[in-house]
Amino acid sequence: MSLDASTTTFTVEQLATYVIEATREVFSTMVMMDPIDDYPLKEPVKRFKCSITGMVGFAGIYSGVISIHCPLDLALKMTSNMLGMECEEVNEDLNDAIGEIANMLGGNIKQVLSKGGLDVKLSIPTVIVGEDYTVNSLSDSDCVVIPFHIDDNRFIVGLTLTKED
Amino acid sequence: MANILIVDDSSTMRKIISRSLRQAGLSVDEIYEAGDGIEGLNVIASGKTIGLILSDINMPNMDGLEFIKQVRANGNTVPVVMITTEGGEEIIKEAMSNGASDSIKKPFTPDQLQEKLGKLL
Repeated sequence: MSLDASTTTFTVEQLATYVIEATREVFSTMVMMDPIDDYPLKEPVKRFKCSITGMVGFAGIYSGVISIHCPLDLALKMTSNMLGMECEEVNEDLNDAIGEIANMLGGNIKQVLSKGGLDVKLSIPTVIVGEDYTVNSLSDSDCVVIPFHIDDNRFIVGLTLTKED
Repeated sequence: MANILIVDDSSTMRKIISRSLRQAGLSVDEIYEAGDGIEGLNVIASGKTIGLILSDINMPNMDGLEFIKQVRANGNTVPVVMITTEGGEEIIKEAMSNGASDSIKKPFTPDQLQEKLGKLL
């Protein structure tokens, strides 16, 4: 199986591996946590409760989105680790930290997609936080969705990608 | 001891870089922060003595490539190191041709920061 996005270059399995490696690197270096990946999901998760989502878009020879979806209690622990101080409530620090994680994941994947760095652009991160919300992609692109766990906490990293003509 | 200016739109990343500079044992005095290139230029224009600038590339309002171009256009020769997720060869080449001294890829460890910045401080 290969992504519609990547028929010439990347299989879904390769992209899943890149997502897993990027997530592990960002978390071990910047979040001081070591997440363990689980089997990829066949369908994207669209509805989230008491969660936060960070997203960064790609534009250029590839378009798409990389996103991280975390339950709020885990996101607060991640933010506390990154800042070296307790973060106990939803605030700008939390939004910024999750946005920056999405940004680093996007940068990591961009290096795989782009030969020199100028043919794929990254957007500024977008963050959504709420008690009950849905995230829908209006494109018919395929995607890879990787669940991770840290102790009993789970989060998801998704990558949607289309190769432009 | 040098004063350092960190230009990054992420407050989290500015805090991580500040902490990493201290952890790496680099000779750092004051650390100034700016959220984009325009704010960075304002800090420089305020007359503060800056010994090293660390700048992101992908920022709103004024990105790091334009920021460094403006810094050099004003005749400032302070070392500028790009700290960025944008690790592509061409984009780094463009940053260097605009006047950057070096680059560090995010995510990074304090050791990597020390290795790159130790020679500039």
